[in-house]
Amino acid sequence: MLSVKNLHASVGDKEILRGINLEVRAGEVHAIMGPNGSGKSTFASVLAGNEKFTVTEGEVTFMGKNLLEYSIEDRARMGLFQGFQYPVEIPGVTMANFMKIAVNEQRKFRGEEPLTAGEFLRMMREKSAVVELDTKLTNRAVNEGFSGGEKKKNEIFQMAMLEPKLAVLDETDSGLDIDALRIVATGVTKLHTAENATIVITHYQRLLDYIVPDYVHVLYKGRIIHSGDKTLALKLEKEGYDWLINNLEE
Amino acid sequence: MGVLDYLNSLGIDCSSSGEITLPDGTPALLLVNPTKVECGIAEQGEDYLILVHTHQGESKLSIDVMPHASLRILQVILADAECRMEVRQQVGSRCEMISVVVAGGKVDYQTDMNGSFSSNVLRAAYVVGKEENARVNVRINHNVADCRSNSLVKGVAGGHATGEFEGMVYVAPDAQRTDAVQTSRNIEIGCDAHIKAQPQLEIYADDVKCSHGATVGQLDNEAVLYMRQRGLSLEQAKRLQIEGFISDIVYQSKEFGEVLAQELTSKLELL
Repeated sequence: MLSVKNLHASVGDKEILRGINLEVRAGEVHAIMGPNGSGKSTFASVLAGNEKFTVTEGEVTFMGKNLLEYSIEDRARMGLFQGFQYPVEIPGVTMANFMKIAVNEQRKFRGEEPLTAGEFLRMMREKSAVVELDTKLTNRAVNEGFSGGEKKKNEIFQMAMLEPKLAVLDETDSGLDIDALRIVATGVTKLHTAENATIVITHYQRLLDYIVPDYVHVLYKGRIIHSGDKTLALKLEKEGYDWLINNLEE
Repeated sequence: MGVLDYLNSLGIDCSSSGEITLPDGTPALLLVNPTKVECGIAEQGEDYLILVHTHQGESKLSIDVMPHASLRILQVILADAECRMEVRQQVGSRCEMISVVVAGGKVDYQTDMNGSFSSNVLRAAYVVGKEENARVNVRINHNVADCRSNSLVKGVAGGHATGEFEGMVYVAPDAQRTDAVQTSRNIEIGCDAHIKAQPQLEIYADDVKCSHGATVGQLDNEAVLYMRQRGLSLEQAKRLQIEGFISDIVYQSKEFGEVLAQELTSKLELL
């Protein structure tokens, strides 16, 4: 589904990603961990197509296509979803209106008819249940006045609405209390199928108790320096990153 | 669908002024390209004025709102016009005005609060592009005690257009317990558009609650990026953001909210 080869990316003249290699197949869950400043969020943004970053080397294939050739919106319409670490507030724009345009743009891209008002409302109701999101929130302006937990739930709600092939969730667990973490994480698990894939970027093992990863990767200084199965996350939680970094530097 | 199309779709003839009835049964007086109007709203009366300016030219309205009367005004300016409106409010009266401007020109509002316990709400928005210039002046005179006023003017300028807001809240020496708010929020699209906003307070009473504020900013690029990540095109994302920006102005009108939003956003395509 996703194949990343020797990906290098910079912001200005500062190189942040320095040769990432990653293969993600349908049905898989990958976790990316790593110390602050290692390039995790940059990796998510580069995959999504954020123009702030320049890809200087390497290639990314998504669903058989050269992902780097597409604009941010076309990548989204192709089925790539980025869960934002800091979801943005859009004053005056209701969630319902925003999602209606987003869903129908995606349908147009796939050559499908737009949803009728009735179909759309049914879908909103159904999907808001996935993350126990109060349906009243869907009538409010996007993320405006939402609590930290509501914003993150809202990210997963949007993911449920857009049914992406690949979701890249950037620190979806940060700033969540215990209950919100469970709701958000089980929401992600409910949306997982054999046809889609998820990359979760996280600092904490506890998220991975709910979203059980097939692979855990450690990103450090813009490269994946180590990969393993879910037990790697447990080991990192206990021992930190020093043993890996020391190995590397020796 | 713009305001004219909407009124036409209701079977209302927009080529001339006259009394009309809105779908929810509300009676209103439609004034098309008024040049000089002087009128009074009777004591305890309730009136709804809809002013549509489709041609260039000057217009002057002078309205007396009698005690405990209630006046609503919707003003839609579709052509470069110079409009001046003077409203005098007597005791216990209410005036709510919504104004939408999609052309250049000059709009002047002056309200005199001459009777206590009266209130005035003004919501205005303009969108200008190309070489257009829009000027909005708002002056609220609190001449007596115990009145409230709240004005919010929002501007959007694209192309090489310019916008100007000049506001003044005057509070006379005896106008104690005045509660006045005046705000202007503006968005410049691109670096060739310019908006100047200047709200002012002149207060001679000592027991009042008055505030004013003005901002001029650009579109929020983070929000545009966020929307594009959900599949909206750059144009759609910008448009939706502006739509959101002016929503608290247009949806102040329960009958015309959606058509006013469309009137303003359809102008965006031409910027």
